Amino acid sequence: MKDVDGPEHSPSYPYRYAEQYSPPEPARVSDVAITTFEHVYEVDPRLMQRWVLQQTFPNWDSLRIMASRQDHLDWMHRHFANTVVNGSVLLAEVEAEDEANPPSTAAPQQEAPR
Amino acid sequence: MTIAPERLSVQRVADVVSALRSVLRDDQILTSKPDRYNRARVPAPFPVHRWAERVPDLAVLPESTEDVAAVVRLANDLRVPVVPRDGGTGLTDGAVPLRGGIVVDVKRMNKIHELDLDNRTVTVGTGISMLKLNEQLARHGLFYPDDPASYPCSLVGGRIGTSGWSLIGSRYGHTRDLVLSFDHVLPTGEIMHVGDGIGRKITKSSSGYQLKHLFMGHQGTLGIATRATLKLFPKPEAELSPFWAFDNYDDAYACVGALARAGVATFAGAVLFDEYKVAYLRRDDEAYIPQPGDVRALVCAAMYGYEDEVRPAGKRLFRIAKEHRARYLGDEISEGDWAARHDRYATPLHGRTKAGQVVPMSWHCEDAAINYTNLPAVTREWHAIVADLRRKTDVFDDWGMFAYTNSVTGADYLTEIDVGIWEQHLDDAAWELWVKAKRDLAAVSLRYDGSISACHGSCREGEVDLVPEELGRGFQVMLDLKRTLDPNNIMNPGKYLLDRAYAENGGDR
Ligand SMILES: Cc1cc2nc3c(=O)[nH]c(=O)nc-3n(C[C@H](O)[C@H](O)[C@H](O)COP(=O)(O)OP(=O)(O)OC[C@H]3O[C@@H](n4cnc5c(N)ncnc54)[C@H](O)[C@@H]3O)c2cc1C
Repeated sequence: MKDVDGPEHSPSYPYRYAEQYSPPEPARVSDVAITTFEHVYEVDPRLMQRWVLQQTFPNWDSLRIMASRQDHLDWMHRHFANTVVNGSVLLAEVEAEDEANPPSTAAPQQEAPR
Repeated sequence: MTIAPERLSVQRVADVVSALRSVLRDDQILTSKPDRYNRARVPAPFPVHRWAERVPDLAVLPESTEDVAAVVRLANDLRVPVVPRDGGTGLTDGAVPLRGGIVVDVKRMNKIHELDLDNRTVTVGTGISMLKLNEQLARHGLFYPDDPASYPCSLVGGRIGTSGWSLIGSRYGHTRDLVLSFDHVLPTGEIMHVGDGIGRKITKSSSGYQLKHLFMGHQGTLGIATRATLKLFPKPEAELSPFWAFDNYDDAYACVGALARAGVATFAGAVLFDEYKVAYLRRDDEAYIPQPGDVRALVCAAMYGYEDEVRPAGKRLFRIAKEHRARYLGDEISEGDWAARHDRYATPLHGRTKAGQVVPMSWHCEDAAINYTNLPAVTREWHAIVADLRRKTDVFDDWGMFAYTNSVTGADYLTEIDVGIWEQHLDDAAWELWVKAKRDLAAVSLRYDGSISACHGSCREGEVDLVPEELGRGFQVMLDLKRTLDPNNIMNPGKYLLDRAYAENGGDR
């Protein structure tokens, strides 16, 4: 079979139908959801039997949808600001400061009466 | 007294089309069924079984203020209804024709006419989207911060027509603060420039009546904005959007109030998610499905500015959250969820029957403005109304509530209940239940001294009945203004109970 990909593409692999339609064994994550690939969640198939039937997706498409969603979110961040400040870094600094200077001795935050 | 006729006859439509040919090219006049049906609805649920009643007779695609003025003049002469339409994302049916007529779709008027780097303004056609505008502005390090959750597809003219609300409005202001002035075609076809005073780029004037506000948020009932001058800001260097989890609503409620009252300059907004919203997210949102059961309410805050401003201010907010027993949800959820809020078209549109089966639903939201101190009571009463609906039928599903700060001081919140509606199963009976529920939801807002809508407008069936009560004597002023500016009731007729302006003796006063 001729390889149709140009030099700039990754080499193509034969498309194995059975492989594409065998996602990882689902694991239950809650009463109403299961997970297959990492970060891929699905509604529990038992809940999609009457009005909306679950569709079968090839693995590449599930992964593509998930990855492109991430691309979209990354694009949004860049669109609205040049950098994203990670909250975890600020939280670590707050924790470290509180440890050095416990909150009881720190100035109280102003709050209106409830 | 003149009231636009209910529907045009086939012959009158043909006459209107031939009259329009004297002012527009053929490719600017659309009469095919798909062209008209696609401009008949908005994303808010509506009685699909009565779609045909809301289809315009034709649509036009003007390319300039003069085109719009010519169409409106002609429609006024022929007494034909005109409905302005921009992105068609409005949630109060503003762009949905109730009496047929001509839809004036301004999407082709999407040019950037002038970028004034020194005065920090841009002048655009009102058919441009904020996203496309910001792509151009970013090259100059600038930013137009009108940011609704429909950001990729709502357009500047629709923002003016609704007087829109922005996610980051607590930092930059909402549409009414960001639009400095605009060219506007009155219902008689005259062209007017409206701004602070007569200025195009003036941000504050005390000359004359403040007409700019009158010609915003009228839902296309007072004319069509065609070209607008907007206020620009530097594109933010840094963004911070922490999300925190709480094991009870009360702590989350106290926390959101404290965050908003902190008076931090880079603060762009904070959001409170209630237990019902968390339960909804646990069904379908990958960030929340795996959360432990003790996550019962959420708060997020957003900050924009220079990094050396955002970091220390962000620490201040983290400390406040900590004092309220918040648990930080981590960078991935915080950053991803906030980015997703600029584009809520991506929300899963399925609900559940009471038996738990997934059903296709579309999304409706009520969007009152409620003072902070009244949020818990309104939240309780609104859920009770939707629970009652759901008890009666599976057509409705409670998708929970948000409360977003309306302004930087945290006085009031855009208070939103999201309701899934199974449109295919809407019939007259279910629609009546829904309209009554909407009226009840609006009544609760007014009882707690709120406003029926912070964001979308209040002209849909149900809530619109209470607008005269909300505005009091002001509603009569609305009728007087409408009659004066639109003597033949051609501009978006049937909206906001404004037909009353044309009733015998000038209305039912
Ligand atoms: C997923 C989603 C999220 C949303 N989030 C928000 C939000 O966060 N904040 C918010 O404010 N809204 C929100 N909305 C509602 C909607 O996006 C806004 O009301 C928006 O301002 C409508 O803009 P549009 O261009 O789609 O206008 P359209 O829907 O086309 O029109 C809206 C109204 O303005 C009139 N109009 C249109 N063009 C003009 C014009 N040129 N001159 C005068 N009147 C005109 C129309 O007749 C109609 O009455 C959301 C909608 C969706 C679907």
